[in-house]
Amino acid sequence: MGKQYEIPLGAQHISLLEPLHFKFTTENEKIVDTVANVYYVHRGIEQACCSKFKFRQVSFVVGRVCGLCSVSHTTAYSQVAEKLIKIEVPRRAKYLRMLVIELDRIHSHLLCLSHVAENSGFEALFMKTMQYREFAMELLEAVCGNRIQYDFSIVGGVARDLKPEVGKMILERLKIFKPQLDELVDIYQNNWTLSLKNKGVGLITKEDALRLNVVGPFARATGLAADVRNEYDDLLPWKEVGFEMVLDKAGDVHARNMVRLRELYVSMRIIENIINGLPESALVTETKTFPDGEAVARLEAPRGELFYYAKGNKTQILERLKIKAPTFSNIPAMVEAFKGNEYGSAPAIIASYDPCLSCTSR
Amino acid sequence: MIKYFTMKTFFKAILNLFKKPVTIKYPFEQTFIPDDYRGMIGFNENLCIWCRRCEMACPPGAIVFSQAMDGKQTYHFNRAVCIYCSECVRACPKEGAIFQTNVPAKCALKEENINNGWNILYGEALMSRAAYAAEKKRLAAEKAAAIKTEMEKKEAKS
Amino acid sequence: MNRIETSIDKVKDDIRNFYKPDLYHFVVINAVDLGEKIEVQWFFCEYANPSNIIAFCVQINPDEEIPSIRDIVESSWVAEAELVDLMNIKIQNTAKGFVLEPDFESGPLRKKK
Ligand code: SF4
Ligand code: SF4
Repeated sequence: MGKQYEIPLGAQHISLLEPLHFKFTTENEKIVDTVANVYYVHRGIEQACCSKFKFRQVSFVVGRVCGLCSVSHTTAYSQVAEKLIKIEVPRRAKYLRMLVIELDRIHSHLLCLSHVAENSGFEALFMKTMQYREFAMELLEAVCGNRIQYDFSIVGGVARDLKPEVGKMILERLKIFKPQLDELVDIYQNNWTLSLKNKGVGLITKEDALRLNVVGPFARATGLAADVRNEYDDLLPWKEVGFEMVLDKAGDVHARNMVRLRELYVSMRIIENIINGLPESALVTETKTFPDGEAVARLEAPRGELFYYAKGNKTQILERLKIKAPTFSNIPAMVEAFKGNEYGSAPAIIASYDPCLSCTSR
Repeated sequence: MIKYFTMKTFFKAILNLFKKPVTIKYPFEQTFIPDDYRGMIGFNENLCIWCRRCEMACPPGAIVFSQAMDGKQTYHFNRAVCIYCSECVRACPKEGAIFQTNVPAKCALKEENINNGWNILYGEALMSRAAYAAEKKRLAAEKAAAIKTEMEKKEAKS
Repeated sequence: MNRIETSIDKVKDDIRNFYKPDLYHFVVINAVDLGEKIEVQWFFCEYANPSNIIAFCVQINPDEEIPSIRDIVESSWVAEAELVDLMNIKIQNTAKGFVLEPDFESGPLRKKK
């Protein structure tokens, strides 16, 4: 047994997007143990939602939990609140919600992929992926009126309608994006330099994934079929619009990249189907009742399962709101997957987890 | 195989030198802004019925109405607090009284004292409303008392 | 959401009998301040039939220690550490200081008396 060293990475580090701290115990170059500290950005959002804001305003507050999956948070909250006040959302609103969630998934996955490339030392691919991502941001801006905070789902429905010309624009842009995505898949799959940093690195098996309750693309890359979109049909009709589960077997960084890339094809197909078959109905169900009882809702955010628990007490202010973000479930597996890897691969592995710390610490 | 790849990428890299840049030449060229961009909130005093529903709906509290002693209300809006969610527009019962334009808001300047100044203004606005309500209540009580004495007088006469 | 009401002594055995790693997905542990008592809820979800969300609910007094389920569900330590800091309840083998600083005013999610 060689001499052991402790190397900290974070909380401020050039390869991290958000404050996250890992303490690696290494033997020569191999990582043998990891400790994670993830709570640098605790903002007390749960407490604010249950004390300062009325339940209709909370959907705008939870949108600020995270910039990348803002629409997933607002939609999950809206669903839970709709269960509490017992209303059914109009069909068109459901479809529009799915549309924005999938557009959001495209930009979030491309962001994650670009960071894997950057942290593996492939700067040019980072630039290329970011260049191709721009179309998704512009489409989101056209649909929701803002690049980052969409504020699209409100309790009872959605805030804005999709204009026909915007729908046409989305279909046109997707047509341009398709060959670009093929090109990206080619590079991520076949590039020899990238494969040195990605193949067989950050490995986690399906058994470990089951044992540690992993969610999202992280789980699907190991072959564990965990996707909330596959499950719920009552809240959002995913299967109707052509959802298909994407699975891989290897469980390493490369497999995660491939899962994310192949999910983009699924997302594109879902978006096309939604725009071509958008049902006509109202956008919002109005009601004056106050939330009562307790309810839970699950939703597949770009990073995995998002879980909301809410309890009402017949007043405007909620009694309790619990947010469980996808990265929160993945922390135990994140710590585990470092073991046996070289310290030099750590940045690429972290990027491939796609950690979202502001979701985790709220 | 590797040789083929390197040759291909090499030629591509040379060709890229003659391509147009993908970034846009801001500020000479405008960035993409859709027609219904969520921009500044506008207010039309002539249409407003002063129901204060927009203030109640606003999540961050960017709208507040102050009230003078004669009952006239004034609208205050803070563009640095607003999150441009257009909840106020949805809550308003009178179309066009409050509306959203597609002009992006200007950034806040230090001279405007937008945080502290707004907090003070907000408190004062609430206080002015409370003062008006108290005054109204006092007047109503006075009026009721006056009517009562009148009635009593009438009763005494008859 | 299926609620299963149990008690503080029995909850660990219940979860041990119930939990199979390849059938159920551990979601999170949640706690709600009911005023006098605190309700702690362990959420599980079935892989095969996912709209089936199971919650083991236990009502405890604020100063009671609840058992840790780390030896059954390995990944539950994050949720437990979070509850200890945010709700100020005691959980077996779990120290303060994961979410908030150890010297922070504890239990921000508890109701103010
Ligand atoms: S747009 Fe939203 S934040 Fe801005 S004033 Fe209206 S309700 Fe308030
Ligand atoms: S909701 Fe509309 S009508 Fe009422 S006070 Fe606000 S702007 Fe005026």
